[in-house]
Amino acid sequence: MSREDVSGTLNEELERLAAERKARAIAVAVHDLETDLRFSFQGDRWFHAASTIKVAVLLALFRAADEGRLQLNDSLHVRNRFFSAAGGTVFHVSPDRDATPELYQSVGRTAKISALAHAMISGSSNLATNLLLEFVGVEYAGTVLREAQVHGVELRRGVEDHAAHEQGINNEATADGLVCLLSAIRGDFLTNESKQKVIQILLEQRFNSMIPAGLPPHAIVAHKTGEISTACHDIGIVYLPEREPYIAAILTEFDSVQEGRRETVAAISGAIYASLQGTGLKSNET
Amino acid sequence: MRPSKERDSNQMRPKILRAIDGMHLPNEYRVLLRPGEIETDMKGNFHRLPRFFYEIASWQEAHEIRLAPHFTLAELMLVDCREAQLLLSQFPHYVPCAIVLLARLLDDFRREVDAPVFISANGGYRSPAHQIGGAKSIHAWGTAANIYRVGDTFLSDAKSIEKYRAIMASLGPAVFVRSFGREQGQTDDHLHIDLGFVTLTPRECSDAI
Repeated sequence: MSREDVSGTLNEELERLAAERKARAIAVAVHDLETDLRFSFQGDRWFHAASTIKVAVLLALFRAADEGRLQLNDSLHVRNRFFSAAGGTVFHVSPDRDATPELYQSVGRTAKISALAHAMISGSSNLATNLLLEFVGVEYAGTVLREAQVHGVELRRGVEDHAAHEQGINNEATADGLVCLLSAIRGDFLTNESKQKVIQILLEQRFNSMIPAGLPPHAIVAHKTGEISTACHDIGIVYLPEREPYIAAILTEFDSVQEGRRETVAAISGAIYASLQGTGLKSNET
Repeated sequence: MRPSKERDSNQMRPKILRAIDGMHLPNEYRVLLRPGEIETDMKGNFHRLPRFFYEIASWQEAHEIRLAPHFTLAELMLVDCREAQLLLSQFPHYVPCAIVLLARLLDDFRREVDAPVFISANGGYRSPAHQIGGAKSIHAWGTAANIYRVGDTFLSDAKSIEKYRAIMASLGPAVFVRSFGREQGQTDDHLHIDLGFVTLTPRECSDAI
């Protein structure tokens, strides 16, 4: 199947899925490292980034480590008290909404930065995210994104900052931008040691009902999900033993009452895999 | 903080504290600790930073030094990576001598509430080089503590903070306790207490310049 055929088939499938699953919007970006195929469907449309923004925080954290600004073995005071990007009012994150409630038992004490990085990604901890972002700084994280030439990812604040949300200050991303972010992680922007650690953290993701659910069992995915009331995303690097990996960002927007959102992302993941199989699995063709 | 029943007579025996004059420390420590230097607080008042310190050889020693029946020195010197690297990663560590007064106050409080009292990280002594507050914070005098938990109660709401604030304030006129709130000078996730900008000159030391 030619590249044009792959893109055409995938476009059709995404349009069909969007209509069938009643999605308000779907955006997909793919970079296949086997064939260098780049695919983008609504790839420049901006979405609320939800928890996919945590990958940007992760990049900034490891860049800071590479620059000697911090050591991953350092300890950080665990404190559930943050300042809003909108006017600096105090806010707290809720353990009820956090997939890593055990971290709240450490409030008052310290946690290793490396452990917080794991909690931020594998358990999508909002508390860990805000602690790390407060420590490295939003401004610094933005500088890192620019230096990494990641366009299409806007990191403006911590998570659960409702005052900022009400003023329209949100973390936003495009599918193209998030693929660019994952490409920066895979590339030479970080030291080799940091790159390996970042990918390992992404591989330890505990929420696997989206991109991995659409793939054959032997696929391994370094990824990060993101869900809020209307957004349901997953971005990741897909490793298959028979071929070079591919990078995919799947962003969706639904009415908040719509069910089957994760299943839709999984179906899109399956469609991407099936499409790339037509061009990418050279070892299977010979 | 360990329950009193776990303490034996050997643990109660006070360990000898080594007091040193900060003016005699190597330069790399003096630039961070700034012994005896004048500093202004948030209100513009002038205060002299602590000059005399206890020298602590190791974390083990900090855990062994019992400043008061229920408080070891280690509980009052836990900081995170916002502390200056030299003071964080290397021993000896130096803590202002007035920290013994803080420990006595905390022990009085512990007796009143009859429950373990937990001091937060960055909530005891922080050096003037610490990124939080620096030399303008009273924590640089070793006379302030942030209590984040009493027994099983996390001090993260108005009810618990005001309850323990009243108890702490009853311990003496020199005790300052921040009220609950989210404005400047208030707290909403711990109980801040302090004794003011107190410095202590050990008996064997001289204030002569």
